Amino acid sequence: MRKVALVGAGVTKFGVRKASYRDLIWEAGKACFDSVPAVKPRDLDGLVVGSVMPERTAFQSHISSMAAEALGIRPSSLSARTEHMCASGTVGIRYAYAFIAAGLADLVMVLGVEKLNQPVADEAILNMGMGVDREWEACHGLTAPPCFALAAQKHMARYGTTEEQLGRVGVKNHTHAARNPTAHFQKGATLEQVLCSRMISAPLRLFMCSPITDGAAAVILASEERARDLTRKPVWILGTGQALDGFTLSSLPEDYAHWPAMQRAAGAAYRMAGITPRDVDLAEVHDCFAIAEVIAYEELGFCEKGEGGRFVEKGRSDYGGDVVVNPRGGLMGCGHPLGATGVAQAAEVFAQLRDEAGSRQVAEARIGLTHNNSGMGEHVVMVYGR
Amino acid sequence: MSYFRAIDPLPLQSAEQTKLHDFYAHLAEGRLTTTRCRGCGRLDWPPRAFCPECAADDYDWVDLPRDGVVHGFTVQETGVPAGFTPPLVFAIVKVGGLRIFAPVLTREPAALQVGARVRFVPARVADDPKGAPRHLVAFEPA
Repeated sequence: MRKVALVGAGVTKFGVRKASYRDLIWEAGKACFDSVPAVKPRDLDGLVVGSVMPERTAFQSHISSMAAEALGIRPSSLSARTEHMCASGTVGIRYAYAFIAAGLADLVMVLGVEKLNQPVADEAILNMGMGVDREWEACHGLTAPPCFALAAQKHMARYGTTEEQLGRVGVKNHTHAARNPTAHFQKGATLEQVLCSRMISAPLRLFMCSPITDGAAAVILASEERARDLTRKPVWILGTGQALDGFTLSSLPEDYAHWPAMQRAAGAAYRMAGITPRDVDLAEVHDCFAIAEVIAYEELGFCEKGEGGRFVEKGRSDYGGDVVVNPRGGLMGCGHPLGATGVAQAAEVFAQLRDEAGSRQVAEARIGLTHNNSGMGEHVVMVYGR
Repeated sequence: MSYFRAIDPLPLQSAEQTKLHDFYAHLAEGRLTTTRCRGCGRLDWPPRAFCPECAADDYDWVDLPRDGVVHGFTVQETGVPAGFTPPLVFAIVKVGGLRIFAPVLTREPAALQVGARVRFVPARVADDPKGAPRHLVAFEPA
């Protein structure tokens, strides 16, 4: 297999955007091309677009062709859309990686985009329920928050994790987001604010949840040969892994606070990269809800099972700790425009490993990890190095 | 032109619309049933028309006990989808050896606890677009 690197990355402003679906594609493309001046749209031989629900939010399918035309890309090796709910962007990066590693493509953009906010406000939440099994679970009104609330309750009962510890994830990520000009929220948050915010689904309060956000992000992947031509600071894909245990809540392991598929996905990525969890300097993990980040510390191997609450409480996942988790501000601070999230995480790792992250810079960052879950039993992990 | 919104959030349940129509017919009769694979005997929740173990597509319907125990639950107070009214009590209920996700219908969510006994009730929900009645699984405190 050939080595593959990120050579460019760009992110739009995330938020409740006054912008169309196509506007967001243009903005992400512009930001990404600006990051690597040696690449013009027609130089690319492939495009993968991660996007979950444009059929509902923009009444548009046929997304990769639409985005290719919008950006002036003429794919000759790879054109595809990836839909894997919250992991869609990273799944797109894996496709592009595999094509380039196999020698089937040389220079591919992966763009993630989502326009979730709608003129009729309650439609956005209705749409988010599409990621849940319609016939057996979503028909009852189930969306993501109660699923993760069940995991949080189990974690609290089994390991003594506290609401305050969950709140500290929100404080940390909102604080980080305040240093990220593209983040949805930029005011930070105090522990009191988090713990007094309104209850969504017990024990998860508003500031322990990611919001409904519009945004897009793009990265460009290149073969080793092309990467060395295009930039002095390529960021290499060292490892990747994906694993699924189940889709419906009923199908998952009985302990909802234990996510073995994440261990398997991370284990595969670590083995491929030849590293251990201790080697990771920064991790962009999928804090769709505070409990997901707490469990991610454990399943990614940053701490022992059950220690996740204490890990954040002691500052071990913050600057100066064992590993900086979500320096970008996470999904809670940046927002979670589904297909864009994994690509924006990759863009953060790209900036961090090139020492271009400004006030968010993790000192001497050499290894960066990204993680997405698209349900408690579905995980994808990437490991990058400079 | 009007603003179109034609989403039916409930499963279509009739024989023309799903292989699993018997499940819904049983629900309407007040029976909670699921599939047992004729190939290997595997019992599943939710019901399914293809066995993930032995790849058979023959199955029998078996009745499940009406009584279950709350394995986990959460009360959603805000942010529910259009068409639903909070609070919603979502639970995983152990029924026999299976875990079933379903709402618990109760006026006192605060009184519910893990380990509480609940009883199956079919919940009548909105008719399908052709006017046929529809039901979903629900539980209520025993």
